[in-house]
Amino acid sequence: MDLDRQNRSSGARATLGAARLHRRQLLQSALAGSAALAVGLRAPAVLGQAKQFAGVTLQGASFASTFFGYLENYIPEFEEATGMKVNFETNAFPVFNQRTDLELSTQGSALDVINVTFIYSGRWIGAGWVENLKPYLEDPNLTPDDWDPQDFVGGTMASLSDANGDPYGFPWEAGAMIMAAARADLLEQKGLGLPTTFDELMNVCDQTKGMERVAPFTADKLHHWNWIPYLMGFGGTVFKDPPANLTPTWDTPQAAEAADFYGRLLSEYGPPGVLSFTDDQAMQSQKTGRANMRTQAITWMVPLAKDPDSRVKDTVRYGLVPSGPSGAFPGSNSHGFGIPVGSKNKEAAWEFIKWAVGKQTTLRMLEQHGYPSICRRSIIDTELFKETLTLNGQDVASLYLEVLELGGKGGYMKYRTVPQFPQVGDKLNKAIEKVATGQATGLEAMAEAQAEAVADLKKSGVQIDAG
Amino acid sequence: MQRSGELTAERATGHTAPAAGLARRFEEQRRRFYSNLLLPALVALMVVTLLPTIYLVVVSLTPLDLARPETHWDFSRPFAQYENVLNDSRLHNSLWVQAKLSFWSVLLQVVLGFVFALLLNVSSKVLMALRTVFLIPMVLPPIVVAIIWKVLYTPDISPFHWATEALGFVVPSLITDPNWALTAIIIADVWEWFPFVMLMVLASLQMMPSEYIEAAKVDGASVLQLTFYVTLPYLKGVLLVAALFRLVDSIKAFPLIYILTDGGPGTVTEVTNFYSFIQAFNFSYLGFSSAITVVLVVITIFLSWLIIRMVGWGQRVD
Repeated sequence: MDLDRQNRSSGARATLGAARLHRRQLLQSALAGSAALAVGLRAPAVLGQAKQFAGVTLQGASFASTFFGYLENYIPEFEEATGMKVNFETNAFPVFNQRTDLELSTQGSALDVINVTFIYSGRWIGAGWVENLKPYLEDPNLTPDDWDPQDFVGGTMASLSDANGDPYGFPWEAGAMIMAAARADLLEQKGLGLPTTFDELMNVCDQTKGMERVAPFTADKLHHWNWIPYLMGFGGTVFKDPPANLTPTWDTPQAAEAADFYGRLLSEYGPPGVLSFTDDQAMQSQKTGRANMRTQAITWMVPLAKDPDSRVKDTVRYGLVPSGPSGAFPGSNSHGFGIPVGSKNKEAAWEFIKWAVGKQTTLRMLEQHGYPSICRRSIIDTELFKETLTLNGQDVASLYLEVLELGGKGGYMKYRTVPQFPQVGDKLNKAIEKVATGQATGLEAMAEAQAEAVADLKKSGVQIDAG
Repeated sequence: MQRSGELTAERATGHTAPAAGLARRFEEQRRRFYSNLLLPALVALMVVTLLPTIYLVVVSLTPLDLARPETHWDFSRPFAQYENVLNDSRLHNSLWVQAKLSFWSVLLQVVLGFVFALLLNVSSKVLMALRTVFLIPMVLPPIVVAIIWKVLYTPDISPFHWATEALGFVVPSLITDPNWALTAIIIADVWEWFPFVMLMVLASLQMMPSEYIEAAKVDGASVLQLTFYVTLPYLKGVLLVAALFRLVDSIKAFPLIYILTDGGPGTVTEVTNFYSFIQAFNFSYLGFSSAITVVLVVITIFLSWLIIRMVGWGQRVD
């Protein structure tokens, strides 16, 4: 692994040397300069001596995402600049959350930098398990002025801050849910466009079912993320008034209708085994052209057009998540780097965070890999961002911003950052599985889930409305 | 022997009272010596098994939630978690799932293990090699077994699904079909553990005196009669032990469920220890999870007691 990294590092240096002066070179130079500057600003007294973090091994963890696949290429340069060694482990989403939750609850020192998962942010910040980063920002020895924390889009910082606005993490991903039809050509053959309403979505699925053995719809098994836009579109809500009133509101006709609707999408129009799909499997089902439409965060959608191994590069089309009778409620979220309070290498961890979500690294991600989930406004506003997210002639950047702004304005994503959401979300997952497999109707499954969620919330000391 | 001889000699010379005192003292010293020898082992045993169990019981009397520090050592309602155990329908469902999983997997493991042992109990080089092959599932790490079956059950990458599709019929994904998900787990569990029963039965068969078979043959017994009236009664004890061991072990079924179905679809494959795991490690309800685990421990102890009663301490049942 180390050798491999060294090789990649020296390869990157060789490329730098060989390249002519153009934008890429400027970016790379800026990155190298930034890393050197970071070290220099951190501790001028040690210039000419050993590197500031020599001998430090930084342990990082997150759930697997394309972001870390890209970041891995740059880590050797960061290690070279700072002297620290970075061990960054990624796991499947539920595995990472479970392990990290346990590690944080013991306030252990096994991890130095972690992803602060959106649905766990309320819990981890509220319990005091992650470090307040305000003192790090305020210390000029730790953070240069031009790092510019205000540059992060406001909505992406909401889940990573406490009630006073103090930051506990900085985002590497802004998830904006959009729709992608991997085989939009099949829709065109039927004279159909990308669906904009729930009725149209069902109609498109119905019309294209069986065409070239492509499943009309696909999804991963995280229903408490994927299904909520449908719940809200039918007029339902997750809680009565989050975060003040966490009484679940699922034993309603709207929730039942949404569960039946989504269950039908999965059971009648999904590929075989769709209920066991992880994010990656769902993306593969689209990339290989075995499944057509999916509503999910943009991170999982852009590779359909960008990845060299995608078989649907020319046929993929993007659109907004269809709206229901009550409107459109595409999910939006953000995941960011934070520091566990038990970490023994907090300054090194902050150095890593500054670098990983710094302007230069972010710009490089965009420029070299087309990474779409950018959180820095100064980069979102560039022509490069728009160019990169113009896919098959479509302005996906506008879709992305539209969703982020919608989530920020409406405040309908508040349900997701309450500390009890992980256990409540589990009930929703089970309910949707039951509906999709015909074990229960929407009404039955949601009523059962409601009862279980109420019992669980009471267990964690939450006041629930009577009745 | 020497000590006994000395005491007898003392009695003969009329020094009974001092001799009895000496013997008592010696006996005390001997007991103390043995106790001292046992003490380190007992302490180690206590630290390793008893203390965690006591801690488990203590935690089960609190509503311990890692995200809420005020719940640590809160004994205000010591039986609240047990009330939750009684009122949690999903937990009750998990016990029923556990019962179904244990019944079918143990039954099939015993039947298959017995049949394969009979078939392989022949001296042949090919069959000798086959025995080793059949043992492979049992020696694989459980997580590897789970991944093998995950591949087999995932339609996109499964040779099984490719084959059925090539033959012209489509088999649904077994692990996401509520009618098949538990069966899929049972199939994988049987595949992994029937070699354990086979191994035990095979060992017993090879120790079976040939006179039994020969005498029955002389009396004109057919192959079926030999199996049902001679071999099976001889193996009764070993089959019982194997079944009870597998029964206790089946309560610990975890990797297959974790990897293959995650307890789903819905709660179709959610067994009790998996549910307890979710409560503790996904939701941090350690108090509630401990109460569930205490109930599981009681069930396991009862089954172990049953094993000991039926089989005896090291005695052969047959």
